[in-house]
Amino acid sequence: MGEAVTEAARQGQMAADGEIVSLGSPIRLGVQTLVKNRAALVGLIVVLIMLAFSFIGPLFYHTNQIATNLPDSLRPPGAGHPLGTDNEGYDEFGRLMLGGQTSLEVGLAAAVVATGIGIAYGAISGFAGGIVDGLMMRVVDGLLAVPTLFLLVYLFTVFQASVLLMILVIGLVAWLVPARLVRAETLSLRTREFVQAVRSMGGTRRRMIFRHIIPNTIGTIMVNATFQVADAILALASLSFLGLGIAPPAANWGGMLSTGVTYTYAGDWWLIYPPGLCILLTVMAFNAVGDGLRDAFEVRLQRR
Amino acid sequence: MGTYAVRRTGQGLIVVIVVSFITFIEAHLLPGNPARAILGVHASSAQIQAFDIENGYNKALPIQYVDYAIRLLRGNLGFSYVLNQSVASLLAERLPATVILVGLSVLVSLIAAIPLAVLQAVRRNRPADYVLTGFTFAFYSMPTFWLGLMFVMLLAVKAHVFPPIAPQGGPVQILQHPQGLVLPVLTLALGNIAAFSRYLRSSLLDNLAMDYVRTARAIGSSNRRALYVHVFKNALAPVITLIGLSLPGILSGALITESIFNYPGMGLLYWNSALSQDYPVLLGVTIVVAVGTVAGSLIADLLYAVADPRIRYGRPA
Repeated sequence: MGEAVTEAARQGQMAADGEIVSLGSPIRLGVQTLVKNRAALVGLIVVLIMLAFSFIGPLFYHTNQIATNLPDSLRPPGAGHPLGTDNEGYDEFGRLMLGGQTSLEVGLAAAVVATGIGIAYGAISGFAGGIVDGLMMRVVDGLLAVPTLFLLVYLFTVFQASVLLMILVIGLVAWLVPARLVRAETLSLRTREFVQAVRSMGGTRRRMIFRHIIPNTIGTIMVNATFQVADAILALASLSFLGLGIAPPAANWGGMLSTGVTYTYAGDWWLIYPPGLCILLTVMAFNAVGDGLRDAFEVRLQRR
Repeated sequence: MGTYAVRRTGQGLIVVIVVSFITFIEAHLLPGNPARAILGVHASSAQIQAFDIENGYNKALPIQYVDYAIRLLRGNLGFSYVLNQSVASLLAERLPATVILVGLSVLVSLIAAIPLAVLQAVRRNRPADYVLTGFTFAFYSMPTFWLGLMFVMLLAVKAHVFPPIAPQGGPVQILQHPQGLVLPVLTLALGNIAAFSRYLRSSLLDNLAMDYVRTARAIGSSNRRALYVHVFKNALAPVITLIGLSLPGILSGALITESIFNYPGMGLLYWNSALSQDYPVLLGVTIVVAVGTVAGSLIADLLYAVADPRIRYGRPA
């Protein structure tokens, strides 16, 4: 949930739209922020730990995550199974790694898809201006009016979910906010002297957009992309809870959590808190990094 | 104000037309065709043909769209073959319940977020700010369904403070049992508090840095007065648009919340219809939710233009 809520919060960063002050390269600025802003630094470290846990962990901790093992199901944590086993007998610790792979893959890739479409659409719309811009933005408004989860539930009622489809669909649903942000920046950038200079020196429109406008929106894009990852991980979790996630033996943290909570009454805490905390920490970490980056790019806050 | 209102309403109408395109496209995304999806895999081709002719699915797509738009304008949202009821009548039953849930949780989020944001802004980058930010963000980063089910476990099953299921029936019955509303409203509101207070915090900080605050201080107003009289008014005005912008997100949350508590609103209807593949209901709910969102943000923008004259005379948004 919360994609449009945070959009409002994110649009706070557009307040400083009208003024551009030399801040050095966006990447250097990002690094500086991480050093100064402790929450963002902790966030980044958590993200790296989660990535290492999910992708490097299975190289050292081998478990069977394909065949079910019903006689060994629902074992509490103990020897051989540091976090117990789930209702199908999978080792919960190993499954967290597998689930983390899917959750992080979907989150990161969906954010890339959404950001890519958003940049292209927003830059074209803002650069075209006039009636084309007006119509393109009304399409965005129309899609934004349909709550994300309603659209996702519909699409996954029609189509059978797979990791690739999950990435594409979440990405295709989430590009609206970056499109708006990029468009707003493009509107103000295209009237700037350095962009006009390209035209006066005979540069093409493509050069103006790709070499001058889009690179100047990178700050906004980086901030938004970070939030997109967090939102996509939560969207995947919500879909899994609604029974529209990716079918087993694939796993994701959201699906593990929603299976786990059905064992709440039995007191099987090891099926609930580990995946729940993984989602919570990862989403918080991405949000903290995004928040730190936003503070860095927000010009007015910096001057104080 | 007049021209702004007209222009903004015109935009809203165009967006509604876009929404109708979206649901029309959604309907034609169905595997095979709508007839196959509604009648099921065992329907004979003769049945499919009859259904197509009866519902106009044999016509060209543009004509189908015009027919669809005319039906929508007449308030005909389709027919649920699963529930054997018109979609409009289903929605008339379910819509008020969702309005109650969403309205109350927006209210609760705001009541919690405003004092939080003031505290965070005044104590910016001090421990209090970090702790509060951390807490609100933890709720924001939690999957809604986990939060809701933890509430059920702690406050309904273990402590018996609130019932685990939402009140059933129409809006009157729901309002007659307010204790049943507490957990659903809390579940939906807690995630929003972070978004609201974060936005308000930066809005307050932006305003605190403005020249008018320095002027107020220079002519002898106390810090407290500058904050609560001058800054407050300016920083709180954007909340109106914030609510408008938040609506789709809150409705997404309502879909989950209603499923957890069996709350008889549109979200639960939508989920149940998804499970029974009742496409007419899914499309009908989508269009009503989307039009409601468009109307909500239109009203928010118009109210904001009343509150802040700069909007009316500025560049078109």
